[in-house]
Amino acid sequence: MRQFHLAPVVLGLTFLTVCGSGGCAKDESNGSRSAANGNALISGRPQVYAVNYPLAFFAEQIGGEYIDVHFPVPDDLDPAFWNPNVASVTAFQQADLILLNGASYAKWIRRNSLPDSKLLNTSAEARQQYIYVDDAVTHQHGPDGEHSHGELASTTWLDFQLAGMQAESICNALAELMPDHATAFESQFVSLKTELEKLDQALLSVAEDQRALPVIGSHPVYQYLASRYALNLKSVHWEPDQMPDEAEWSKLGDMLERHPAKTMLWEAEPLPGIRSKLDGMGLQSIVFNPTGNVPRQGDFLKAMQQNVARLTEILESP
Amino acid sequence: MFDSLYIAWRHLCFHKVKTGILASVITLTLFLPAGVDALVDESAEQLQRRAQATPLLVGAKGSETELVLNSLYFESNPPVESNMAAFERVRSSKYAEAIPLYIRFRAREKPVVGTTLDYFAFRHLQMASGRPFAMLGECVLGADVAKALELSPGNSLLSQSENIFELAGVYPLKMNVVGVLQASGSPDDSAIFVDVKTAWIIAGLGHGHQDLANEEAADELLEKDGNRLTANASVLTYTEITPENAASFHFHGNADSFPLTGVIAMPQDQRSKTLLMGQFQSAKDDLQILQPSSVMGELLAVILRVRTFILAGTILLGVATTLSLILVFALSLRIRRQELATMRKIGVARLRLFWVVAWEIVLVILFSGGVATALTIVARQFSNQAIEWFLL
Repeated sequence: MRQFHLAPVVLGLTFLTVCGSGGCAKDESNGSRSAANGNALISGRPQVYAVNYPLAFFAEQIGGEYIDVHFPVPDDLDPAFWNPNVASVTAFQQADLILLNGASYAKWIRRNSLPDSKLLNTSAEARQQYIYVDDAVTHQHGPDGEHSHGELASTTWLDFQLAGMQAESICNALAELMPDHATAFESQFVSLKTELEKLDQALLSVAEDQRALPVIGSHPVYQYLASRYALNLKSVHWEPDQMPDEAEWSKLGDMLERHPAKTMLWEAEPLPGIRSKLDGMGLQSIVFNPTGNVPRQGDFLKAMQQNVARLTEILESP
Repeated sequence: MFDSLYIAWRHLCFHKVKTGILASVITLTLFLPAGVDALVDESAEQLQRRAQATPLLVGAKGSETELVLNSLYFESNPPVESNMAAFERVRSSKYAEAIPLYIRFRAREKPVVGTTLDYFAFRHLQMASGRPFAMLGECVLGADVAKALELSPGNSLLSQSENIFELAGVYPLKMNVVGVLQASGSPDDSAIFVDVKTAWIIAGLGHGHQDLANEEAADELLEKDGNRLTANASVLTYTEITPENAASFHFHGNADSFPLTGVIAMPQDQRSKTLLMGQFQSAKDDLQILQPSSVMGELLAVILRVRTFILAGTILLGVATTLSLILVFALSLRIRRQELATMRKIGVARLRLFWVVAWEIVLVILFSGGVATALTIVARQFSNQAIEWFLL
C-alpha cells in the first residue's frame, strides 16, 4: 500500500496550492441541462433508440403511443456492422433509453461513447446462453500474444425464447422509466410474447421430428436458431447478391461431403445463378431473413412467420 | 489635542518612507493570521462541498485519502487500481448508479480523466463550445485547460508517457478536442475528459492496426495457419483514431479486468446507500467503499489542527514584530532627541510632546489596522479566485 504523504498537503493548504484545487464555486445541485443529456424529451415522450430492428419493433409494440422509438440505421446496411457518424452517435447520446442487443452485437458501441446509465443490454439475463463462435480469426502481432476480434454469435432473437426474454427486459425498462404506464406495457408485452411463443412452438414441434437434420447457413447468423431448434448447422460466408468464386464453391462441395445437407438458409433471395447452381448440387435454397434491419414488407412478426412457414415446410417435406 | 494630532500627522507625512515601512510591517503582521484563516476556511469549505456532492466512492483497498484526492480533485498519485468488475458490481447491485473513473495519465501536465458521459450529467457540467466526446480518441477540455493550452474544438493534443525512459512502452495517443466545458469553479475546469475506453487505449489495452486478413497487410504476415494469423512487429499500429481507422480499434482481454482507479456510486436513497456499503464490509474483500465527505472531514480536521500551530506561529511572529516596533520607536525617539529638545525650548509642554509622539504611533497603527482589515475582507470576498489563481 502506498503511503499518502500528508506534509505536502498541509503545506499546500497553507500556501493554497492543494486546497485551491478543491473548489466548486457554483452550486453543484444546479439542475440545468448537462453536457451529456439534452433534448431527450422533445416530444414530451421518452426517446428510445435501438441498435437493431427487432429491438425497435419490440419497443414499439410494448411502448406504443407512450414512447418515440428510433432506429437510425440506413435500410441497406446490416446494423451489426453499421459505423455511425458523429451526428448519429450524438442522437443516441440524447436518448432516454438505448436498447442494446448484447452478445457483442453492433461493435460500434465499443468504439463510441454512450451514457452508461441509459444503456439496456436486453439479453443480459440470458448471458449463459450466449454462443461462442469457434471459427473466429485469431492473430498475433507484437508481444501481446494471440487474440481474436470476434467471439460471440449475436443474432440472439432467432431463438424466439431469447427474443421473448429480450422483449421482457424492454418491458421492465419502460415500466421503470414510466411507472404510470407499467400496466399498459405489461399487457402489450403479453400479446407480443404470445406471438413469439407461437413461433417458438411451431419450430420446436418440427425440430422434435427432424433432430440433427443437416442444414447449411449462407452466412454465420443462424447459430441461435440452430441451437434452440436442434438444427445441425454449418455455415459458409456468402452474400445473396454476390456470386461466390470457384474456391468457395469447392469449399461448399467439400463441406457437403462431410455434412450432407439438403437445405441452405439465406438472409435474402439469392441470385438466380446461385439458386440454380445450388439446385444442381441438391441444395434447396430458402430465405430465412434475420430481419436485423427493417424488412421490405410487413414487420418483424410477419417476416418471422414467413420464415418459420418456409422452414417448417422444408423440414417437414419428405 | 488637535494641534498635537496635526503636528503628528505632518511629521508622518514628512517622513513618508519611514512611515510607509512601519505601516507595511504592521499591516502584514495583522493580515497574515487573518488572511490565512480566511483562505483556509474557504478552501476547507470548497473541499467539503465537492466531497459532499459525491455520495460514495468504490476503489481498491489502499489509501483512502489517495482514492478521494485522485477521484475528486485529480490530485495525488493514482491509487491502487481496481477494475471494471468493481463497476459492474456496483451497477448490478441495483442500489446505485455507477460512474467509472480512470485517472492515471496526463497530457501537457493536465490530468486525463477517463470516464463516461454520465460524469458530465452527475457534475452538471455544460458545454461552452463543441460537443461531448462521441468517438474513441476524442476529448473534452475543462475551461481552464482550454484557456491555458489555448486549445479549442478542432485542435488536438498528445497524451504523455508516464515514464520518459519507457522507450518500449505505449505510444502517445493523439486526442482530438471536440468540446470545451463551461467553467464550473471546480477541479473539472483543470482536467481533460475522455471516454474510459480511450484511457484504456492510452494504457495500451486497446489498439488499432491494419486488418491482418486484408491483402494489404500481406508483407507484415509471418504465418497463416487456418484462422490463426501471426504478424511481424512492423504491422502498422495507429496512434490517432480517425473515422477511417476507428473500426480497427479493439481491446484485448476480459473487459471485467480492465483497470479503473475508482467508481463513483450514486445510491437512490439512504436505504440503498446503507445496503450498498454493507456489501463491501468484508475484510476479505479487495474493494473498499468510502464516503468522501468523511474522508475529507478527517483530513481537514488534521489540517485545521495544523492551522492552529501556524496561527500560533504567526502570533509569536506578531509579538516579535511588536517588540521590534517598540525598539524602532525608542530608537526613533533617541534620534529625535535634538528635535524634541528644540520643541521644549520654544515652549512646547512635556505633556503635549507626549501626545505628539503618541498620535504618531496611534495613526500608524490605525492606518495599518484599517488596511489589514480591508485586505482580509477582500481575501474572504475573492478567496475563490485566489485559490484558483494559486493553484492554476
